[in-house]
Amino acid sequence: MIDPIILQQGSDWRAQAEVFDEIFFVFLALGTLVGTIVVAYTLWNVYKYRDDGGEPKEGFDAPTVGELPTGQGGPKAKKLFLSFGLSAIVVISLVVYAYGILLYVEEGPDTGEEGDIEILVEGYQFGWEYEYPNGHTTTGEMIVPADQRIDIEVTSRDVWHNFGSSELRIKSDAIPGETNSNWFSVSSEEVQAQGGEATFRVECFELCGSGHSAMKGQITVLPQDEWEEWYEGTEGDDSGSGNESATGNESATGNESASIDDAVSVSGAVAGGVPV
Amino acid sequence: MSELPPTTSVKRWLVTTNHKDIGILYTITALFFLLFGGVLALLIRVQLWDPANQVLSGLAYNEAVTAHGLIMVFWFLSPFGFGFANYFVPLQIGADDLAFPRLNAVSYWMYLFSGVLLGISFFQGGTLSAGWTMYAPLNIPMYTPSIGSTGAVLALAMFTIGITASTVNFLTSIHHSRAEGMGIMDMPMFTWGILATVWMMLFAFAALLAVGLILAADRVLGSVYFSATEGGSLLWGHLFWFFGHPEVYIVFFPALGVMLELFQTFSGRRLVGRKWVIISICLISVQSFLVWMHHMFLTTINLEIKTLMMATTIGISLPFDLVVFSLIYTLIKGRIQFTTPFLFAFGALLLFILGGITGVFLGAIVLDYEFRGTYWVVAHFHYVMFGGATALFGGAYYWFPKVTGKMYDELLGKLHFVIFFVSFNMVYFSMFLGWETPRRVFEYNPAFQTFHQIGTIGAFILGFSFFIMFYNFAKSYVAGEPAGDNPWDYSRTAEWAVSSPPPLENWPNRPSYASGKLEFVKDYVPDGGPAVKADGDGNAATDGGNSHSDHIKEYPYWDKHPSHASIWPFALSLMTGFFLFGLSGFADSVTFIVGESIASTSVEISNVVYPVFIVVGLVGMIASGVKWGLEDFYAPPSEFAERWPFNGVEKVKLGMWFFLASDVIVFGAFLSAAIFVRYNAGWMTWEPLTESLPGLINTFVLITSSFTVILALVAAHRKSRQGILASLGATILLGFTFLAIKLWEWEHEIFDRGVMIASNAHGDPIQASIYYVTTGLHGLHVVIGLLIACYLFVRTYQGHYLEDERPIEYFGLYWHFVDIVWVFIFPLFYLF
Repeated sequence: MIDPIILQQGSDWRAQAEVFDEIFFVFLALGTLVGTIVVAYTLWNVYKYRDDGGEPKEGFDAPTVGELPTGQGGPKAKKLFLSFGLSAIVVISLVVYAYGILLYVEEGPDTGEEGDIEILVEGYQFGWEYEYPNGHTTTGEMIVPADQRIDIEVTSRDVWHNFGSSELRIKSDAIPGETNSNWFSVSSEEVQAQGGEATFRVECFELCGSGHSAMKGQITVLPQDEWEEWYEGTEGDDSGSGNESATGNESATGNESASIDDAVSVSGAVAGGVPV
Repeated sequence: MSELPPTTSVKRWLVTTNHKDIGILYTITALFFLLFGGVLALLIRVQLWDPANQVLSGLAYNEAVTAHGLIMVFWFLSPFGFGFANYFVPLQIGADDLAFPRLNAVSYWMYLFSGVLLGISFFQGGTLSAGWTMYAPLNIPMYTPSIGSTGAVLALAMFTIGITASTVNFLTSIHHSRAEGMGIMDMPMFTWGILATVWMMLFAFAALLAVGLILAADRVLGSVYFSATEGGSLLWGHLFWFFGHPEVYIVFFPALGVMLELFQTFSGRRLVGRKWVIISICLISVQSFLVWMHHMFLTTINLEIKTLMMATTIGISLPFDLVVFSLIYTLIKGRIQFTTPFLFAFGALLLFILGGITGVFLGAIVLDYEFRGTYWVVAHFHYVMFGGATALFGGAYYWFPKVTGKMYDELLGKLHFVIFFVSFNMVYFSMFLGWETPRRVFEYNPAFQTFHQIGTIGAFILGFSFFIMFYNFAKSYVAGEPAGDNPWDYSRTAEWAVSSPPPLENWPNRPSYASGKLEFVKDYVPDGGPAVKADGDGNAATDGGNSHSDHIKEYPYWDKHPSHASIWPFALSLMTGFFLFGLSGFADSVTFIVGESIASTSVEISNVVYPVFIVVGLVGMIASGVKWGLEDFYAPPSEFAERWPFNGVEKVKLGMWFFLASDVIVFGAFLSAAIFVRYNAGWMTWEPLTESLPGLINTFVLITSSFTVILALVAAHRKSRQGILASLGATILLGFTFLAIKLWEWEHEIFDRGVMIASNAHGDPIQASIYYVTTGLHGLHVVIGLLIACYLFVRTYQGHYLEDERPIEYFGLYWHFVDIVWVFIFPLFYLF
């Protein structure tokens, strides 16, 4: 179940898929452990204290009809709080651990390189359209270079979609009137491993109408030089003003860009300059 | 008032207001919807058998998915739990019936007819296909144009109205009719589960009602809330999940209550840490309203809010930990009997543990990012909600002997459990294994085909297992062994202290826990006077717990017997169904052609069927409402009861307060929607659409009318018929003045300024929609208030209310509330 793709580039940052696999493994291991212990303990006790038809043990105080309920006191109440405390520690430490990683995912890695690419993703019934910094658009297939952080800005033209790729472990709601940010990156090793061109399945994860099931897309990752060749070939076949070019280092600090997007979504007319 | 016919008569089941009869009706109807939703589930599973070959079209599949979700969550799970609640909560707290028997019947009939409307919607060009979460804007006619989609939305709104009535009823009953000596902490755990449930329902379903009304306005009247890019989609998300998260516990708590009862009964142990379990349940109920945005982690809400919601989500899992451990420790050192009810309750615990653990995964935001919209979520909530419902089937076996007087077949019961439990895990555990499949998708990655095929096989076995239960119940009802009054060794609660089935009015004499144990005391009744309480251990007390009185007791109600039959709940609900059925086709059959003025505006009707249903339904609703008011129906409050924390509040007044509390949430949701959208559009970019003068005048008109209602009450105190007539008359006149000014204002907006519900010459169309819909909802409240006021006016003229002015007081509460709401609407729409 744990996908073994490792999309590591160097040792200083990690792809979302890798981050996910690690947390998922930790949760799965602990969850299985705790679940097994609790269920086994319960089953064993249920068997041990079954009614075997014999005489009631000493101290067994059967309830009667019409009594006002009282709780069972004694040492079991202490045990209750002990187990409660233990489980609380497990759950809280798990979440604190996961939260640290969330901050990383939200911020995104600072790859420290020039030319991070920002692609606008627009969902529609029933497909995806991608707009590149130079204004060129493609539908269905997003073509990106390896070894670069790709920032995506996701929105929708009609209804609520969800842009996601299970293999890359990325997912973003595509909501009309809102813009959602996410990022991903694929290493050239991975591209090599897939034979010089890596492809990842894109699916819609929010019910969006009769064609929801068939709303598939693809992310194609090319080696840097091949991609640049393709990208340059797209210049000029579009009136695209190209003013929404890659914002370089600015967008690399994803935290900032995320908060700007929030401002846009909160008061689009003011901050985003969206015509009303 | 009519007599209650015998159970063999069909008429009995149409007119009954008895809580036990209605409980049976709920249970049977809910099981029918289990089959309905189950067949849809099997259709889904058949479609998933092969990712390439399909049985259903994409649209039909979406309809099946949507209706399956809606039916199971709304029309099966909650009503199934509330069947038991209807039957056993009054018995467990020592009441004769619920506080408002006719209202209880209305809740049931609204539930039934709303289900019928949903069924009809399949034949109105196809039912809703937007998923049970109905995300905007897929839920508006532009994307789901069929009449049936509107029909399904209106069915849900009708269901919600019935639920609201039921909520008010249970809250009033549990807080107003507990037997003497039963403090709130002394209530049986099933009743505690229901109490927590109805408190959550009071607020959560009000939010659903609001969002349903807004959606109905979008679909029927053409307002543009959810198509607005000024946050329309997110507005739906927030309002829906504000309801939707508490709904998870609303569905689960009745089942939890059953688990808590059954673990005690079949282990012979009392609950470990009882007080802490109750505190946990109360905490969860409050916390459930603070976690809703964890359903929206992938929307554009910011990191700070996500962090907060993650913390509250983990916070809510902790009280659940305590409850689970308490259940487990209760079994230790017991004498556990592996009867069918216990097996189901125990199975529910195991399933819930798995559902809980997988839920912690979802609470970690990074994992949620990937699980969102996948079968992980589907598997998780089936383990929690259907896993919880497993305990309800245990409840069905547990209480079957009490309801029918016959014992079920134990062997068949155990067989049902084994098949159920194994196939349950086949269906839903396979979903965890193939979790990367997107939800509501049938063209999935073929790598997961094996898992989905195991799930499909499991689903058919699971469906089959219920027929063992149906057969068992049918066979045992006809030819089962007599069960006796108390077939269980270690039962504690009061329903086991009366005969099986219990007599119509439940008790041989007044039940009392004053001595610390259930006793039936005979009160002394002087001629024509109120009852005098028997002393705790006086000779009036009878032997508690083993009385077998079958006759309807002679209870000290002066000279009146309580009523148990009324046809008007049925009639009112049927007429509401007619009205809403008509409304579902309104937008498609009636067109308004707006001209220069009202005179040149014409109406074009392309299909008379729907408008006729609207008119018939509306007239019928008013007529049955009036008949209801005139009916001599006697449902006395308990003479001596524990009422904490509402000591000294009269029964109907308490109910009125609960209703108004839920109405506060309805208006709160409408006003929040207005503020949310305006904030998203840019607060300062909107100017009020209307001039402030008419609004200001209307503010004075309404405040004055509140004053005249108080005068009417004062006059009633002085027993002055003319005083009441004059002040009520003034109230009515002021109300009509308000409406007249309102209509003039609307006419001016539409014809002079070009502001219509979906178009706005002066700004965003959504602003016009919000203005018309919000002030329209308030106007509707005024109209209903005026109808009641007119009714009271006529009745006063006929000489009523001089002895008992309470109806005027209750109307006053409602009218003041409507006026207070206006005080919030006025600045928002007229000043700023």
